[in-house]
Amino acid sequence: MSCGFTEKISSLIDGELSQTEAREVERHLLSCSECEQVRADFLSLRSQIAGYESSLEPTVQNRALKKILAPRPHRTGLQWAFGTPAIAFATLLIAGAIIGLLFYQSKRAPQSQTTALVQQTPAPVPSATVEKEKQPRPEASPETSSETPPATPNKNEKGTNSPRLEPATPVKRRLVREPKPGEQFASVPERVRSADAETMTAMHFENSETLLLAFKNVRLDESGSAAEVSHERKRAKQLVFQNMMLRREADASGDVQISSLLENLEPILIDIANLPDQPDAEAIRVIRERVERKNIVALLRVNSTALARALD
Amino acid sequence: MASEDDEFTMLFQDFYPSLCRFLECLLGGRAPLAQDLAQESFLQLHRTAWGTLPVGEARFWLYRVARNMAINEFRKSNTRYRLFDRVVEAMRPRARNPEQEFETQERKALVLEMLQSLPEDQRAALLLREQEQLSYKEIGQVLNVSESKVKVDIFRARASLRQRWNKRVKTAGASIC
Repeated sequence: MSCGFTEKISSLIDGELSQTEAREVERHLLSCSECEQVRADFLSLRSQIAGYESSLEPTVQNRALKKILAPRPHRTGLQWAFGTPAIAFATLLIAGAIIGLLFYQSKRAPQSQTTALVQQTPAPVPSATVEKEKQPRPEASPETSSETPPATPNKNEKGTNSPRLEPATPVKRRLVREPKPGEQFASVPERVRSADAETMTAMHFENSETLLLAFKNVRLDESGSAAEVSHERKRAKQLVFQNMMLRREADASGDVQISSLLENLEPILIDIANLPDQPDAEAIRVIRERVERKNIVALLRVNSTALARALD
Repeated sequence: MASEDDEFTMLFQDFYPSLCRFLECLLGGRAPLAQDLAQESFLQLHRTAWGTLPVGEARFWLYRVARNMAINEFRKSNTRYRLFDRVVEAMRPRARNPEQEFETQERKALVLEMLQSLPEDQRAALLLREQEQLSYKEIGQVLNVSESKVKVDIFRARASLRQRWNKRVKTAGASIC
């Protein structure tokens, strides 16, 4: 097998060489006895392999053909047909997921019912509350009340788009909303703040309202400077920190309405807390105007009332 | 439909025996298994590819599928099959002339033994060449390899078998002397 033609001999007996190559190999075979022997051996092997007789019997062949050509059994109606283990596994997986979901829902049901009870607690209609609460202004002096543009119920009834009406919208919180017929509160439980946080918020609103009313009633000297605002400043400083804390808590619990009210209140409290010892009339007036413009006092009252009633 | 079945029957009659022989040699003489796999290959052809495949391609398709099935069988732990095949072989009705039958069996055993010494790809290529007379290109199509690889595989298989054969002849000569 040392001759370089042996591989070509294999191709030659298979008829895979070109005419030129075949002639060349044939010429070589005439002169090389070793390669001639290789060709003889390869041909001998071929005859042995090609002469191998299969053990196949005609009956087996006919049976096989009948089996192949036989019509497939026709399936009638619905049948279980788990063709592969993968389908069976997938079915089991889906069944497991459904059972798990049902179990989870059944466990969550009592908790959701409690939530629904809290949410469905009857509360006053917010817009009506705003109107009723705004009418008596017991602490407001004749001077200030004349200065202040009154938030009359008539304006509210007209439904104008003045900024004063905007605060009425946040009051329509989930705490006071009536459930619609067929509505399921338990299915998607909303995030509810803890009772402690709501109590603190209600108290904070009351305190802030008191502070703002007191600030509104601060008398100005003839020189144009306020006589004494130290008490209001001290109180505002205390309320600022409380306000920050409650606002974060409201943000965390997802209560957007309370959070936005606290957000509006915060700069006012900061401004009051940062007033100088002898503030001039202009500084006082600017803050008062902002309080009036944002209708903070009314909003605080409405929300504190709603929170208090919900807690009751 | 009837003409399709007729065509299929013709194809089956032409190639089922040769497919059985190819598989039998590939599987080391396990005739019942080879017949089952050949039947399974034709069944697949009839159910899936028949009608969509060009008639000229059907033969190559059959050999390709049958060879893949044989490879799957190699991968399985097949002691059970071997035992079953031996039982079937022992129960098979014999020819009337026992001497002739013995010679045939000896020759077949020798060929199978030699073929079993080859790697599977070389064995398949050589069988398709020597028994089915497929060209290198067609063999490459069946085995999904290049033509040059087929050429090399066939040469190596022949060289290996020749060496083995010569060794066997020398040993036999020495024992006679």
